[in-house]
Amino acid sequence: MQSGKSAAQTVATVKPLQIRGRTFTAIALHLTGRPDRTFFEALEARLNQTPLFFDNAPLVIDLEQAAGLDSAQELMHLTAELRRRKLSVFGIQSGTPAQARAAAEAGLISLPGGRDAALERVSRQGSRPVPAAPPAPKEPANLMINQPVRSGQTVFADRGDLIVVGSVSSGAEVIAAGNIHIYGRLRGRALAGVNGDTSARIFCHALDAELLAIAGLYRTSENLGADTPRQYVQVHLQGEVLRIESLK
Amino acid sequence: MSKVIVVTSGKGGVGKTTSSAAIGAGLAMRGHKTVVIDFDVGLRNLDMIMGCERRVVFDFINVIQGDAKLKQALIKDRRLENLHVLPTSQTRDKDALTTEGVKKVLDELREEFDYIVCDSPAGIERGAHLAMYYADEAVVVTNPEVSSVRDSDRVLGLLNSKTALAEKGDGSAVKAQLLLTRFDQNRSANGEMMSVEDVLEILAIPLLGIIPESTSVLKASNEGTPVSLDEKSPAGKAYMDAVGRLVGEQIEMRVNPGEQRRGFFQRLLGRTA
Ligand SMILES: Nc1ncnc2c1ncn2[C@@H]1O[C@H](COP(=O)(O)OP(=O)(O)O)[C@@H](O)[C@H]1O
Ligand SMILES: [Mg+2]
Repeated sequence: MQSGKSAAQTVATVKPLQIRGRTFTAIALHLTGRPDRTFFEALEARLNQTPLFFDNAPLVIDLEQAAGLDSAQELMHLTAELRRRKLSVFGIQSGTPAQARAAAEAGLISLPGGRDAALERVSRQGSRPVPAAPPAPKEPANLMINQPVRSGQTVFADRGDLIVVGSVSSGAEVIAAGNIHIYGRLRGRALAGVNGDTSARIFCHALDAELLAIAGLYRTSENLGADTPRQYVQVHLQGEVLRIESLK
Repeated sequence: MSKVIVVTSGKGGVGKTTSSAAIGAGLAMRGHKTVVIDFDVGLRNLDMIMGCERRVVFDFINVIQGDAKLKQALIKDRRLENLHVLPTSQTRDKDALTTEGVKKVLDELREEFDYIVCDSPAGIERGAHLAMYYADEAVVVTNPEVSSVRDSDRVLGLLNSKTALAEKGDGSAVKAQLLLTRFDQNRSANGEMMSVEDVLEILAIPLLGIIPESTSVLKASNEGTPVSLDEKSPAGKAYMDAVGRLVGEQIEMRVNPGEQRRGFFQRLLGRTA
């Protein structure tokens, strides 16, 4: 419509780049040996429990307990397999110098060990200021959501109970280290006790779930059965059995 | 105080553009100065449905890129004094939309217009995201079928988290209302389509209106007339009711305003029997 000149001027008013510091949380995948078939099967099972939760999550491979894994080829294969499962691998941590070299060759960055190791080193040297207070012991923290959890959303109470005042849609995921209380209809997935707490429970007003899990033991909508109570229910573990009971 | 209203859905082909045109025309008819913006870059449907495709010289993207002034790109409707259209580009793609560019245009429009209606593209990618980002209110267009409802649910989640209002973090939120379109009472009654109650139970937002499936919609769009200007069309009447509710009036919800007359006759018959 007009000459290229005005377009160039427009471009000039836009800053070409900005650099900002940024911290973010990544998932660390601790390898305890070679990434063989058993490993991938276990991984698959874990991912199936909370499919959306790990979707495209930034991931670092921790090699502290996998000293033998130091060929670039093997790391490349592992990275490709993880990326195929929608895990966004970007680096390794706690690697030996040989592993760091292999990682660089495989296009991964090497991070120093996790935060604990770094802090320890700082205080031993005593050259840099030690953080004022040691990190407070983790207290349970409950999470309250006062609106419906919609399709595509994941809500995670990583240190306590999750309370949802509203419904959980099909395609939504609610996850808690502790119990899950839903004052509404559960149509999506609910995973309680994800850190292994077998005493965790799921409560909901109406049950229409795609998946229910406690401490990793799960049932899907297909194997809930026609006689499953659907109104005012609680879900809990009895030994290895996920039981669904009416609260009435 | 001007209001930015996004017409959105997630799913394509549910009636967003039809609804944007009808709502824009309805607001203008009620005397509000209104502009309807086409965010569906590359597809350019809105100007056709509003009958001004031959008058497009400059577009939204030209304004964003500084190649034209907003005044040059705005098209004034020939029928309604208060109605304007900001068409989109047929040739660019949605990467031409930038957050700052959209903000600048909306800020400028806010100074002049009472209502700014944003016709969102389908999907949840860049175009749809930018169409909703600066909205004060949302009209979530949904058809009474499972996939459309689920996509709307997804969009509602984004409205609650990925908008300028939500990002303020002070509890502000985009006010979202449901516009159930292409509703067919018979198919809903015999279970071929979802009922109004089922949709409302899942989406859990206020109902702005129910637009019946109607042949007058296609006719109106072929003529380039927003269907709300067609007084005989049941869909047009339903849109006018929805517009009334949008500006805050209490209007009784009728599933099919076109059936009113039949109801009247039925009442007469009921009395003589
Ligand atoms: N109430 C209705 N009755 C009949 N047809 C409709 C109705 N609403 C929309 N349509 C038709 O559906 C198609 C898609 O509508 P459109 O508004 O372009 O959807 P979107 O913008 O969501 O993609 C068009 O052919 C339109 O004429
Ligand atoms: Mg459209």
